[in-house]
Amino acid sequence: MEFKQVLGNRRSIRYFEPDRPVEKEKIQVILEAANRASRSGNIDYWKALVVYRDELSPELIDQMRVPTTTLDLDLAPVYIFWFADMSYADPANFQKNLKELVGVGALNPTHGWSDAYVDDVVIGTVIKPLLSDTQTVAWMGTLETGLAICQAMLAGVDEGLGVCLHAYNAEPVKAAFGIPDHWVPCWVLLVGYPAEDPQTGGQRPRRSISTCAYLNNLDTPWPEDPATTERLKREGLIQDPVDVPRRMDEVRGLAQRFGLPE
Amino acid sequence: MTPDEVAAAAAVRRWFTSPALQGAPPEDKQRRLVLLADFCRHTGQSPDELVHGCLRTTKAGDTAISAKRRKAMNATIDQFVAARGLDGRDAVVTGNTLRSFLVHNGIFIQGRPWRG
Repeated sequence: MEFKQVLGNRRSIRYFEPDRPVEKEKIQVILEAANRASRSGNIDYWKALVVYRDELSPELIDQMRVPTTTLDLDLAPVYIFWFADMSYADPANFQKNLKELVGVGALNPTHGWSDAYVDDVVIGTVIKPLLSDTQTVAWMGTLETGLAICQAMLAGVDEGLGVCLHAYNAEPVKAAFGIPDHWVPCWVLLVGYPAEDPQTGGQRPRRSISTCAYLNNLDTPWPEDPATTERLKREGLIQDPVDVPRRMDEVRGLAQRFGLPE
Repeated sequence: MTPDEVAAAAAVRRWFTSPALQGAPPEDKQRRLVLLADFCRHTGQSPDELVHGCLRTTKAGDTAISAKRRKAMNATIDQFVAARGLDGRDAVVTGNTLRSFLVHNGIFIQGRPWRG
């Protein structure tokens, strides 16, 4: 699928084919996409635990439920638990990985980088102070993990899967799988083949980018170029909003299929 | 409570104004009323009491859902369904029909899907 089409096709899928297996190779694609995400210092911030729902005990699934994530756990065949691994916050990790980036020509003298700069200056005056602030450590760890999760979701869409991030009760999962305390639970990504048609659901309502982005100063909303907007529509990034009556028919059909409240 | 008494409750009128039920056939509405009336008898509560029983008032005076009572309500629904001897799809649909009544009265509650 073309990149812009993938971006345009992503939406939170809440109805999955509960018993259609998801191929492990597609999960690998998702994980590899996460692994390609931008990450400061080339550090492995993210950890993921992939679990096939039917491999879990019903008791553990029950313990994971929170009010907004109950039905979804029954419908999605695959759960990917994402964690921010706070053990990243060791200056030695940055020292090793930054020098690796210098060595492969990603960080170059053209921009002031050298092994000596990493060893003599960066670690002591940038990384150590940064990592001594717990708020910054938490912010960086979860932000960088979020970037990985985002790529994972898009890869799932590209593979024809439905994806949706959810809250869950992490403590029973941590206990069941021996998750170390320095892995901070982020979201669980529910994955499966959609039982709903993503196109019928339409893109979710979004305000225009000029309400969020500015040019040169905060008094100047980003001036949208109508020609570019039209191009993005042709390329699938901007799609039609939902056709509500059609969507409601679809939801009614799904409710009847799964015996859900209408 | 009889189905007619149940139908007069404010919470039931609100339920029946929901988009999915507004245009529902009369026999479908009657089936729902009979079911809810049975559930009211089972619990000894009126429809309005069922809804209010899932809510609580916060210290700031806002209305919130009581997690404990919602959990109890889910269990009561499951007990009611089991007591009727239902299983399989019928059990799921019956329980979720009662949850539909609660949902359309502002109670965020989820049941299980029928997976065949």
